[in-house]
This record gives sequence, C-alpha cells and structure tokens, in this order.
Amino acid sequence: MASHALSEGLFDAAAHAARWVADYRGRVGEGAGDVVAGGDPDAWTAAFEELAVAAGDDLAHAQERVQRHAEDIGTGFRVAGDSDERPWPVSPVPLLIAEGEWQAIAEGVAQRAGLIETILADIYGNGTLIAEGAIPAALINGSPLFLRPMVGLTLPGGYQLQFAAFDLGRGPDGEWRVLADHLRAPAGAGYALENRLATSRTLGGLQGRLNILRHAPFFTAFRDGLAALCKRAEPRIGLLTPGRWNASYAEQAHLARYLGFLLVEGADLAVAEDRLYVRTIAGLKRVDALWQRADPRMLDPLAFDSHSTIGVAGLIDAFAAHNVLISNAPGAGVLEAPALQAFLPALAERIIGEKLKLPNIATWWCGDTAARATVEARLDTLMIAPAFGVNPLGLPDGAVQGSELSAEARQALLTDMARRPQDYVGQELVRLSTMPVVADHELAARPFTLRVFAARGVDGDWTVMPGGFARIGEHPDIRAAVMGEGIWSADVAIYSPDPVPPASLLPAPDSTQIRRNPGTLPSRVADNFYWLGRYLERGEALLAIVRAMLGNSIDADAGAALDHDTVGRMAGLVVAAGAAAHPAHLKRPDLVQLARTALDALDGWNNIPAINRMARTIAQVSRDRLSADVVRLLDAPHPTKGSMLDRCGSLQRRYAALSGLSAEHMGRTAAWRFHDLGRRVERGLAVARLVRTFGMTGASSDDLTTLLDLADSQIGYRQRYLTGIARVPVIDLVALDPGNPRSLAYQADRIAEHLAELPVLNDDGVPEEQQAEARALCALLSTASATRLDKGQLDDAERQLAQLSDAIARRYFLQGAEPLRAGGLTLA
Amino acid sequence: MIYDIRHVTRFDYGRPVAFARCNLRLKPILWSGQQVERYELAVTPAGETRPALAEAGLANVTRLVVTERVRNLTIESVSRVMVDRMVPMPQSEDPTLAEVAALARANRDLSAAGPSAYLYPSPLIPLDADIAAWCAQDLDPDRNALEAGIALAQRIQRDFAFDPTATLVDTPPREAFLKRRGVCQDLTQIMITGLRAAGLPAAYVSGYIRTIPPPGQERLIGADATHAWVMLWCGPARGWVGVDPTNGIWMASDHVIMAIGRDYAEIAPIDGIVLGSGAQKMDVSVDVAPIG
Repeated sequence: MASHALSEGLFDAAAHAARWVADYRGRVGEGAGDVVAGGDPDAWTAAFEELAVAAGDDLAHAQERVQRHAEDIGTGFRVAGDSDERPWPVSPVPLLIAEGEWQAIAEGVAQRAGLIETILADIYGNGTLIAEGAIPAALINGSPLFLRPMVGLTLPGGYQLQFAAFDLGRGPDGEWRVLADHLRAPAGAGYALENRLATSRTLGGLQGRLNILRHAPFFTAFRDGLAALCKRAEPRIGLLTPGRWNASYAEQAHLARYLGFLLVEGADLAVAEDRLYVRTIAGLKRVDALWQRADPRMLDPLAFDSHSTIGVAGLIDAFAAHNVLISNAPGAGVLEAPALQAFLPALAERIIGEKLKLPNIATWWCGDTAARATVEARLDTLMIAPAFGVNPLGLPDGAVQGSELSAEARQALLTDMARRPQDYVGQELVRLSTMPVVADHELAARPFTLRVFAARGVDGDWTVMPGGFARIGEHPDIRAAVMGEGIWSADVAIYSPDPVPPASLLPAPDSTQIRRNPGTLPSRVADNFYWLGRYLERGEALLAIVRAMLGNSIDADAGAALDHDTVGRMAGLVVAAGAAAHPAHLKRPDLVQLARTALDALDGWNNIPAINRMARTIAQVSRDRLSADVVRLLDAPHPTKGSMLDRCGSLQRRYAALSGLSAEHMGRTAAWRFHDLGRRVERGLAVARLVRTFGMTGASSDDLTTLLDLADSQIGYRQRYLTGIARVPVIDLVALDPGNPRSLAYQADRIAEHLAELPVLNDDGVPEEQQAEARALCALLSTASATRLDKGQLDDAERQLAQLSDAIARRYFLQGAEPLRAGGLTLA
Repeated sequence: MIYDIRHVTRFDYGRPVAFARCNLRLKPILWSGQQVERYELAVTPAGETRPALAEAGLANVTRLVVTERVRNLTIESVSRVMVDRMVPMPQSEDPTLAEVAALARANRDLSAAGPSAYLYPSPLIPLDADIAAWCAQDLDPDRNALEAGIALAQRIQRDFAFDPTATLVDTPPREAFLKRRGVCQDLTQIMITGLRAAGLPAAYVSGYIRTIPPPGQERLIGADATHAWVMLWCGPARGWVGVDPTNGIWMASDHVIMAIGRDYAEIAPIDGIVLGSGAQKMDVSVDVAPIG
C-alpha cells in the first residue's frame, strides 16, 4: 500500500512539474534567453518534480517552506525582529548550471582573480604598469580604496588576495559577463551556505538526483590556504568584524563558526611590539591572521583614518613587520573601481598574453580624452556611472541611462563631465536573462545576477566555489537587477554527470588532534556570558517576588494572605531593585500596580522586560557561541495573554528552561564558567538581600515563610526540620548551609571553585585578587553562626560579593578605557 | 633665510592615561627651496619613537609609544631650516588651467609627490557645488594657471574674515564658507575645494611662517601656531607652486613647509590615540626666529 501511495505521489509530482515547466516556457518564449526555456530539460524537470514533492500543487507552499528552513538555519545568528537582517529572502527554485558551463565560468573567475593579484602587486610594488602608462595614475588615485601607506610594503604571506567575489550577469545569448569585482571584504559566502542548506532541506531528493557539487571543499581550501601562509603550524585566525551594527554581522558570525575562526572586534585586539594579540581571560594571546570584514580604512587609526574607533592602533605596523597576516591586504579594494574595467581587457593581453575568458561589461573611463569623446558621442546608448563608486557632482543619484536624460540634464551632465571627466565612466547597457521565481502561486520570470566566490588554496591556486548565490530582481525590468536591488536570492546548484563524493568541513578523523579545551575565550565574550548569567538570574529573582506579591493580593480572601508588613517588604524589594516606583502619595503600596509595572511595562527600567532586553542584546553579540535553543528562548516576545499570574508562569517556565539549558547543555567551557559565575554572584546578592529583609531578629512567621519561598528552600526546610518555622534554622538553611543549592554559602563555594579553575596569569601559586576575595567570602560564611548572623555581617557579605564582581571584571574583562584622540591642534 | 623653529605641544589629561600611540609629523620635509639643517625631538616623559613604516602624505612620520601612566605629555620639536624660494611670477609660457588639468590626469607619477593624488576630493575636503561655483569665477579654463591661483587666493583673503572664534579644527569647509570666516585651515580647505572641483591638483600644506616680520612690514597672520596653505601643481615645468589664501600671497622665503598631503588628516602634526577617560587639554606654542 505504501509503495502504491508513493508512486502515486511521484506521479502527481511529475504531472505538476511538467505542467509548470510547459506553462512557464510558453510564457517566457524561446528568444528571451531564460535559463529554463533554453536549458537542460531533464535537470529542470528534476528540480520542479522535487519542488512538487515539497509543495504539492501549490508553489506558494514551497516558498513558505524554504523560507522557514532559512529562518531556522539563521536563528543561531540573528534575532527575531531582526529578520530584515537577511537582506534577500530565499527563492525555492535554485539556479541550475551544468558542470560543463560552470567549468568555463570558474576558469574565467580564476583567471580574473589571478590577473587582479598581479595588478595589485604592481600598484603597491614597483609600479611598472603605471610608469609605462598601462594604467593611469589618476585612475588609481581616484579610488577612495587606494591606500597609499601600503605602497612599498612587502606582504606577509606574499599575496594581496586570498578571497574574492565577482558579480556576473548572463545575457540573453547565454554569455556570462563580469559586472563588478569585490575585493576588500567580499560578503555573501555565508548566505550561499544558508541558501544551500535551506534549499536542500526543501528539495531533499535533488542533491542525489542531479549530483550537485558541494561547497565544503571550497571553504576547506580557503581556511587551509590562509593557515598555510601563517608562520605558526596551528595558527589562531580571527574574523575581524566591524561589530553587531554592521549589516552583515550575522553572516560574519555564521562564517566564523563554520570556519573555526575567532570572531573579534577591534576592541578585542591589541598590538604590542609589532605583534597582534587578542585579549582573553588568559591574558594576551597571539593572533596570526585576520580575515577582515571591516572597511580597511578603519583598520588602524595610526596608518589610515585617525577618527577610526573600530580599528587597532599599530595593526599595520605589525602587518608591515610580517607578524600578522591581514586578508585581503588592505588596499586591495582599489581595483573594485568600475573605471578599471575599461583597462582590464588590454591588461590581460599585456600581462598574461590571454583574452579575458569572462569579458566584463564594455567600459570607457572618461579621464582618458579619447574615451571621453567616445562616451559623449554615444551617450544615448550608454549608462553614465561613477568611475569609483562615489557619486560625483554630476551624478548625485548615481548611474543614469544616457537616453533617458532630458536635454537640460544632459547638458548639465556634460558640463560637469568637462570639469572633472575622471569621475565618470560610460558603460554598455546590460541585458540580463531570466530565471523562474514563485510569485503569486505561480512561476514568473525575473532577471538575475550571480555572485561567485574564489579562494586561494594551500597550493596558492584559486579555487572557485561551485555555485554561489543568485540575486533576483523584483520586477521584470532588468536595470533594477543590475543595480543590485534584487529582492530574492536563490541557491546556485552546479550539477555533474558524475556522482559527487560526500564532503564536509570536518577534517578526516585520523588527522584531528583531540582537544578538550576549545580554544581561547576573548575577554569580551567572557564579559558577555557573565552578564547574561547575571541578567537571567536577576530576572528570575524579580519574577519570584512579583509572583509572591500577586498571589497575596489576589487571594486576599482565601486565607493564604500574608500580613501587610511582609507584603510591604516585598514591595520594598521591588522598588529598591528599581523595577517600579512607589507613588509618594500612597501610604500603602498599590501591589497590583507595582506588580504590573515590574512585570509588563515595556518602557520600564530594571523590570522584567528591561532585564530581558539586556539579555537579548548580549545574545545578539554572542550568537556565534550560543545554541539556537537559547537564542530562541531569549528572543521569544514578552507574553501578553492571560492574567498577570499566567504571564508570570510563562516567564518562569522560560527562565527555568534557560537555566536548564545552561546547566545541562552548555559544554563546561570557560564561557560556561563565566555564565555560571554571573548567575552565582547575582543569586548570592539576592539571597543576602532576602535574608536581611525577611530574616532579622523580630521576623514574623509570615516573613520567614516568604524567605523560604523566595529563596526556593521550602522543601529543604521541611526535609531538615519537623518542627514549625523558626528563625535560626531558616537563616542557617538560607544563608549558611553549604548543602542547600540556593544558599548564600553554596553560591560562594561555587564562585570560588570556578575562579580556581579559570586561567591565572602567573604560575607562582599566589592567588589572584578575585580568587583571594572569593576565598575570604567562603571563610566568612563557613565560620558564621546562624544565631549571631546580623545585618552588619550580611551587609559585609553583600559588599564582598560586589567587590568580587568588580575584581572579576578587572581581571578578565576588557576594561573600558576609551581611546581618546590626541591632536586637534590650533591652527592659525 | 635660516630659521630656528621651536614647536612645543603639551597635553594635560584630567586623569592619568595608560597608553599613548601617536604619529608625529613635526620634522619639516626636504623640499625644493628648503633644507633641514638640524632637528631634535624631545618627548617628556620619554616614549619609544621610530620612523613609521607606512605613511600616506609627504611627511616625516615618527611613531611614538608611551606606555607609562601619565597626566601630561610634552612634545618639543626644534629645527633649523634654510629656506631659499623665489616669488613665482606668472609667465606667458605657463600652462592654462585646462592644460594643467589634462596634464595632471595623464601624469604617470603615482607617488605622493605626483599631481594625480590631489585631483580628487578627500575625506576632510569633499567636493561642494556652492564653493565650486564661487571659486569658478577666477578659474576660467583658458587662464594662466599661476595668475588664476593667486587671483583666487587674494579673493578669498579679501572676502573672508580671519576669525579664530568662528570655527574649530574639524569644522567642514562648507560651514566656514557659508560664514565667510575662519582660520588658515578653513581658507585653505575652501580654496582646495574650488581648485579640485575645477579638475585641478591641489594639496594641503602644513608649516610655519616667520614670527617677526622684516622691518617695515606687517606681521603675517598665523605666526603663533602652525600654519596651513595650498599647493597648486602647474604642469611639469613649474611643478608645485605654493599660495597662501590667508595672507593672499605666494609661498616664498617666509614659509617653511612641514608636510604636504591631501588634507589635514594626512599631515596633522600630532595625531593618534591615548587610552584613558576624562578631558584632555592642549597647549601649543610656536616660535619661528630668523637667524640670518
């Protein structure tokens, strides 16, 4: 029966696919150069059959499904509400390219990357091409990405480029052309990975049916190639991100995790004696190479822009001294200038004696007198574009199509071009062929561009990622796509006639060195994990009080109510925590109002939403190290349904789940220790406050019951004492009993344990400050007696905990000395 | 003319700063018409200094690292410079502005001394259509380049008020232009904006002018601090010609060039970072004494 159902399903799928393909071909026609209409019918039929298996007869299902997979994959790296971080939603229909056709593209890309390397080496080296007039000096100087300080430096590793990306367009005749070069910090490889995962989860069978080439060998080649250029055998490689506000931060975090690079910001790094270090909990650690994704002009305030606050002072000196590799070399972006495209065909012939295997769009740089005359003569058939990616005065809104200018605008442009011709290029109009996307439950043809990636492998040769990512325009109008305004992206699948061996980024099992301690923990990350722990514990403690307050205000008639003084003390804790303010004109606190503010006010300070917000902010910058489950829980929106008590319950379950995940699922790494340290310090502070509030001489039995409740120690008390509630045993249990996991003494012991396990800077055996402070606190608590424990001692304990927290921050975290800019001289 | 130049910069920090890393571009460069005969740099408290490996402009760059915790830092730069420069006189064989622009675009020198680096807007001196239009009145493409250069400098000197209270070191050129007032940096940036917008290679110069004028002459503006002016490239025969829009004069033997770059960021006498918090205060004193 089952096989009958399956074959029926396949029959349906085949029928749907055949109908879609036929309809689509009929609509686009043969002459438009669409990839399906002019492509291999067997391959496309296979893709559409898989689509039909996933979608049934409604293509919109496939669109939803692939998008859901993409969001799942990305969850670890981005945060709900930030979904617009992914600039282009995934289309379920991959772009299929036969291996034979791809081979030609890959060869063209490798040729181009090699050629650009040679030109860069000349520009930043002995300058022959410029001296001989093959490239105008004014073209190089025109690029804001030309970094003169790099001229004359020999490069560590010897190469300008290790990683490059190129945007290609496919004309209606099927010919591929290069539209743009990305050399300084090429983005998008992470999206290619995500698209592949999301698409192959949706079209599960396609991989096997079509022998699709895999991405992993490409990334292995890049990683190993970079590592091979480092001086040390097991180099530490950082991915330098401009930070979480950067548009592709999520992609950077994803790639860092995938490649095994340390995700670092400028503030994590320091240069001493011309060597680059990362600030870690174990002190400064050497960094051998940076894969940099920041604007290179911001890399070093001493060498480039002294206003840079994200750079590392002295980095370029360390680079020049060959002590750190920076990839790509700062300054490589100079050849991204569209103006260069005018010279590349001739440069290829001159330098390698070959034609460009992949032509670029025909370009004329107006800084050259003859070329400018051509552009003026052919203005109606060309795009007029900025020569260097910076809009000149005559093109305030970027490129324009000559034929669309009014007589007046045309004259204005020609006048500006006469003044500064070097700022302009003329480019042929590009026509793009189309590919199918799902729009409104059916297939529609849209123009697309393709970004391909090339990396230098261990042997120094270029490897091209089989595939890449396609960007697809929203409108049939082709120009939008050329301008990079596509709204969808799609996986690009290269299919082979031969089976593809499985591969992944994991090295072969016998070559892996076993490691139980997973590397170095940057100070910034330790800081984040510590505060994540503190915030989560703080939220949990506040929630317990709010819940107790609510229980006693609502159940006033049920007989379980506590006396007014006890409830007032709870309110006092909420107010003291800054979670809600007590209106001055009320004698008795309005408990419901206080609880509502502490629980629900979205614009509050130090209340539950505010605390969760801070935890979420930290999660955003730690996503390369947090599990998707943790991120999902932190991302969950504030509950709005049900009563306040229901909402308390829902939040409490969330906190419990987070606490469980950290206790049971986080590896016992240094990062986990900092997270747990944060939780212990915060809980210790909370317990000290609770004991002081509810447990001092004269405490009522309601006070003591509340203390046991809020310190989560009711069961522990009943297991130990058969008698009713009495102050001294309660105090002992909550403050001093090292066997009660909620007690103050227990927190102190765990803190001391963590600090003993964390790295020390000297091996002289003398405890560091934070270790000594922790031991002193343990000693205070282990020798204290419950009968004599008074407010003064509790104050001492609380103060010691706060000092301990400061000592931890001083020892392990980046201590926020802000870089001040020197200078600002008076000029007259 | 030989000058003894003493340039002292003192930083005072509200709280001790831990770590300073700076660029010092204080030693005057070797340039046609001037020679540095003696130079001494003293930093208190002592830091580690060495020449920079990578630099953008035409400058002698020293990297300074002070690792000691300090509340103040004094940098004293003393030089003896011999200057011998003629006032350039426009000649009929000088190129026109249009010729200068075309020669600069076609020039094959990529170095910081070549003209093409200075054809383009730079981070602190963006192109501005209004400044361009104002300057264009003096910049007819068929005009003799030197004549045009001095004419524009003199019109800026006439139409702008010298006013140290009007602008700060990071005031953008457009703001000073709209106010029609500012100091040497503002006037220099405005002139450079106008020249570059017309397609001409124009550089930013930092340096000194003599403190005490020759007998019978007025004291020049800008003598108590570092000064700034413009260099215009006027074709391969003339090369770089200096012109001072603050005083409306050519650069000659009263001017000592410290450094040349695309804008202030490339030639700032001192820049860099210190790690610390709180306020910083800076005092600068400059003395340029002719000794014969």
